[in-house]
Amino acid sequence: MPKGQTMKLVIVYLVASVGLVAETVLYQAAAIHTADRGTIENGQLLVQGNRILAVGKQVQAPPNTKTVNLGELQLYPGLIAAATSLGLTEINAVRATQDTTEVGEFTPDVEAWISVNPDSELIPVARANGYTHALVAPLGGVVTGNSGLIKTSGWGVEDMTVKPRAALHIMWPVLSINPVPKSALRNPEKFKSPKDQAREREKKLRTLDQFFDQAEAYAKAREAHGDQEDFNTVPAWEGTLEAIGGRQPIMVHANYERQITSAVAWAKRRGYRIIIAAGLDAWRVADLLAKEKVPVVLDNVFRLPQRDTDSHEVNFRAANVLHKAGVKVVHSVRMGNWGATEVRNITYAAARSMAYGLPRETALQSITLHPAEILGVEKQLGSLTAGKEATFIAVDGDLFDIRSNVKHMWIAGKPVSLESRHTRLYEKYKNRPKPKAVQR
Amino acid sequence: MRGRVVVKPGLVVEGATVLIRNGRIQDVLPKEKKGIPADARVWDMQGKTIYAGFIDPYLSLGENKATPVSNRWIVPIEARAGISFKGVPTTREDLGGKGPGYEIAEIHPQQQVSDGFTPNAKAFAELRELGFTAANFIPNKGIIRGSSALALLGDGDPNQLLLRPQTLQHIALEPAKDYPHSLMGVIAAIRQTVLDARHHQEMKTWSQRNPNGPRPKYNPALESLDSVLRATDKQRVAVEAGSVLMTARMAKLAGNMEFDPVIVATGQEWRRPETLQQYKLPYIMPVAFPAAPDLPEEQDWDQVSLDQLRAWDWAPEVPALLAKNKRAFSFTLHGLGDRNSFRKNIQQAIQRGLSADVALAALTTEPAELLGAEADLGTIEKGRLANLTIVDGDSWFNPDQPVSSVWIEGRHYVNDPREKKEKDSGEADVPNEPTRRAAKIPGDYRGALKGAANILILDATVWTCGPSGVITNASIRIEDGRIAAIGPEIGAPIPFDGIIIDAKGKHVTPGLIDCHSHSMILGGVNEATLPSTAMVRIADVVNSETENIYRQLAGGLTTANLLHGSANPIGGQNAVVKLRYGAMPDEMIFSKAPAGIKFALGENVKQSNWGDKKTTRFPQTRMGVKTFFINRFTAARQYLAEQRAHRVSGPPVRRNLELDALGEILKGERLIHCHSYRQDEMLVFLRTMERFGIRVGSLQHVLEGYKIADEIAAHGAGASSFADWWAYKFEVYDAIPYNGTLLHERGAVVSFNSDSSDLARRLNLEAAKAVKYGGTSETEALKFVTLNPAKQLGIDRWVGSLEVGKDADFVVWNGHPLDTQTLCDETWIEGKQYYDRAKSDARFDAMAEERAALLSKIQKMKPNENAGLTARAAFFRRALEKAHTLNNCYECRKAKP
Repeated sequence: MPKGQTMKLVIVYLVASVGLVAETVLYQAAAIHTADRGTIENGQLLVQGNRILAVGKQVQAPPNTKTVNLGELQLYPGLIAAATSLGLTEINAVRATQDTTEVGEFTPDVEAWISVNPDSELIPVARANGYTHALVAPLGGVVTGNSGLIKTSGWGVEDMTVKPRAALHIMWPVLSINPVPKSALRNPEKFKSPKDQAREREKKLRTLDQFFDQAEAYAKAREAHGDQEDFNTVPAWEGTLEAIGGRQPIMVHANYERQITSAVAWAKRRGYRIIIAAGLDAWRVADLLAKEKVPVVLDNVFRLPQRDTDSHEVNFRAANVLHKAGVKVVHSVRMGNWGATEVRNITYAAARSMAYGLPRETALQSITLHPAEILGVEKQLGSLTAGKEATFIAVDGDLFDIRSNVKHMWIAGKPVSLESRHTRLYEKYKNRPKPKAVQR
Repeated sequence: MRGRVVVKPGLVVEGATVLIRNGRIQDVLPKEKKGIPADARVWDMQGKTIYAGFIDPYLSLGENKATPVSNRWIVPIEARAGISFKGVPTTREDLGGKGPGYEIAEIHPQQQVSDGFTPNAKAFAELRELGFTAANFIPNKGIIRGSSALALLGDGDPNQLLLRPQTLQHIALEPAKDYPHSLMGVIAAIRQTVLDARHHQEMKTWSQRNPNGPRPKYNPALESLDSVLRATDKQRVAVEAGSVLMTARMAKLAGNMEFDPVIVATGQEWRRPETLQQYKLPYIMPVAFPAAPDLPEEQDWDQVSLDQLRAWDWAPEVPALLAKNKRAFSFTLHGLGDRNSFRKNIQQAIQRGLSADVALAALTTEPAELLGAEADLGTIEKGRLANLTIVDGDSWFNPDQPVSSVWIEGRHYVNDPREKKEKDSGEADVPNEPTRRAAKIPGDYRGALKGAANILILDATVWTCGPSGVITNASIRIEDGRIAAIGPEIGAPIPFDGIIIDAKGKHVTPGLIDCHSHSMILGGVNEATLPSTAMVRIADVVNSETENIYRQLAGGLTTANLLHGSANPIGGQNAVVKLRYGAMPDEMIFSKAPAGIKFALGENVKQSNWGDKKTTRFPQTRMGVKTFFINRFTAARQYLAEQRAHRVSGPPVRRNLELDALGEILKGERLIHCHSYRQDEMLVFLRTMERFGIRVGSLQHVLEGYKIADEIAAHGAGASSFADWWAYKFEVYDAIPYNGTLLHERGAVVSFNSDSSDLARRLNLEAAKAVKYGGTSETEALKFVTLNPAKQLGIDRWVGSLEVGKDADFVVWNGHPLDTQTLCDETWIEGKQYYDRAKSDARFDAMAEERAALLSKIQKMKPNENAGLTARAAFFRRALEKAHTLNNCYECRKAKP
């Protein structure tokens, strides 16, 4: 984009932010990738205040509409990182900066979004590559707590929270056994026979089930009491109410086939709505997941194969296998610090799946519309559609091409800065004068 | 005595008579022949078979018995430094162990098992039940362990029973508590010890001629190695390497160091059958076979890998494999949890193709020869000791026929007639299925797919990464693995005799080069004990067996710089390899590459993230890091001066492998690749090295390099960075993805590396990030993963760009190499194709099929409930070559050891 246009944009922003009446702006772009109605070449996006009024080749604009010509830029919906530790961690090796992982097996009353550090340097870095939203989820024991959806720009936690209690999270018990005999263990005193371990894993699943039996009993009692004040609320059970009431999904973090099948059977029996996250082996049970309408948040595209007979491409192909079977696929990064620093690269995991057959439209949906849908915010977010929030990004090329850059971002109609620690340091040292010592 | 006499393997005399006098065999008389002396007592051995008494060459008894060398090499985080330098001058008060000896406590060749030999009546009786009459008792601990002793398994005092008090010396590749704690460290320590022993001898000779010179120190450890290293009549060395690759390493080392090895087999020789031919060494063969596990549920078999199944299926066939490759070997009980399975396992080995004669030799003549006791043991011939093994029946190889008695030096030992045991306690699975092997070998799935002296690539878009830039519709002609011509118009004979690659619509780039990899290293990436471990060599522990090689070839990688970790300021020597999958480690080495070494600065070397207890190793601060370098290079300078002085006169200088490496750096013969993050530490490091006249090869990671780009460029150090990693440690909080571009713009030679076995599969896309962040041009960005790392490693004369005369290492891409939608179609090294995407699925299908066949075989077998723990443990033992821990990002894991 020529420099003059950047200036024009800045002026438009100023006008928009001081206007008392919701401004109407018409954005003209080389392409508008709606994520639900395909791509409109040389299209227009009409925004009033924080809403999209219309999207099309040539839209009807009311009088006094400002027109912003974005030239060669292409518009995409704001990108959504589906399950992350963004904002809960700063520097992996510095313990004081970690708020990712709570202690305890069953802590459904833990709420992740409230601990987001709004000034985390990791957030603007994610934003700079198009991520307008992130689901911030807790790590910990088994039932780890509730996640919340945040936007990646705002003055503080309350301002940034888009949807508290977006999902309840379960780290599904590991069901593999350690078959190594006692004599070969480094700590032989920790030995448990395979049969004992098999019993133990049954017990883990039973305990989980019992936990939800109790939660349901509590929910029933609570409902019977209505809003009577004499009811003693229990914060832990309160944390499960939305999920067991079906108003909120349960995100089950599980990698291995038998964990996934066990979680799906469990959810079916209990009538819960689940999402599989991590999902290394999900493609192996794609048909089951499709049949039970369980979406999958994949965080394993860039991971070495698990089995020594797996193709080196196994995880690159997974998304398309799931998609072809009819499973709704979301791309994300792993939970924890490393993933939080890597949110900006989720796009390229989706690109990798695309290189292995995932249709372009689906790849885009996997980081926009699909996460919005599974988190229940599809009415506001996830696609460029009339009536939805005007949250979108302008890219100077194909979003899925690493060489492209996000040039502008709007969240709810308002332009958002793409500056970050990285761009600031870049600008500073780009302009460092040549030191005397090396001027020979 | 008269019976069926097996004089020696292959020679059976029915109804012969063995004459024994004074504990020796006086004669063996055929049936017809008379001549039984009148005074002889006659033992009728009708229905029995008489063998020469069996010998176990590698036996250890008791509570502290030697366990097989473990593959559990861990990355240590211990901060103790037991060896003679700590970066600051110190006086040593101990030598690791008690009393005089070598400076590493685990190296004690002076120890002799015979010194502490005590007959163990109960254990001896049990051994006699199996038919053993003599055994070589081995030392149980350490790296260079000491001498074993051959003893008779009878009653008597030690003086009477010890037949050869010093037989073999013993080396085992096991980690020490302090240095050496990694596999490469152990090998370095062995190498140094041998040099020290030679120096010790030279010193003694020198001092005899120069009585007024320095006195040679007393060192019983080094003295004792004289018998191993002397020119003739060498004491043999039993080497227990624990893995097939390390067996080959030790065989080669023995050649260089001139000692005479006997190999303790790993049971996994099937991984590299060709090594059995390469080094013509004798073997000691344990018969501890893995037993099939009893898994609770069908689904649990999903956890079992193809490699484990192969190891299980191959094990009983390994003795036959050794025999097929004409390797002499002796059987041993070593590593066998339950001795009662010994005969059953040998029976199984015979069912799997081993001849009974060879098996018998492995119990008699071979161990006798190995231990230098063939004059006394091994056959039933005149003059040998009267050591005999008597079996009720016609064959010891039928485990149902008991060994009723043995004779030791003419004395009769009757074995208790045991009740047939109620429980069958055999360890291995006695197959109730045909014993055909279902397992293949790794070599069936790797190696060059095709190649030819003449190759022609037609119609490609060629990214030369050289002065010609990008050439469209170009052709490349390759002759004998080198590029012969390149350009839009090149001559080629018609018809063309060779391989033609039609690359219409495709892009061809140089093979990618990863300047920072740990993907192919065995037994620990760090020798983390000492602050300087310049003596350890990655080249000793390259893992040619890892699937990482195939996976990275599939991403277009052809060359990798295998680096020691960053646990100490001066790490180990690196190895540049080409990904010639299928070749042995030494054949993967990029032999023309200049030598190099890993250095490191910052948080890792000062142990910042090693836990609160690790606060005593010097250095603990960035101040100390610099001090340490100055100390070591000063020492290296003095060392070089001593060596120069010795050439004129003076005592022989002890070769010090650590200072050798540092001296090579001073002489400009070894490149430093230095792990570094912060601008201050990097600048100080460059200045410190400049003081010693050293140009640094590359700064690795160099994440704040952009802040001192001019200084780095002026020094001439390469900058090998991550494209966009950050925030995993405090010192990388200022890491920015613009680093590559900024450094490049200021004139530094920039590469992007992986430090991750996963990321190394798509370095072309990492290069694309230089275009994204800061706008480096595409042709320059691609050089970040081709020509520039080649320059940093000093190999750009041969690789890194597609130019006439360079190696034909190239990648055929199905599109633009920086595009996320592009896939690698083919990868070639020196005119040989190592990856072809079109053939990849078939490869994995075949592997899956092999696994399915093995799974069906093992599941048909009823699990042996009584299989001993050791045998079941053996099933789950991951081979060293397959024990990768660095699946993903190394650097980010390292932050929390």
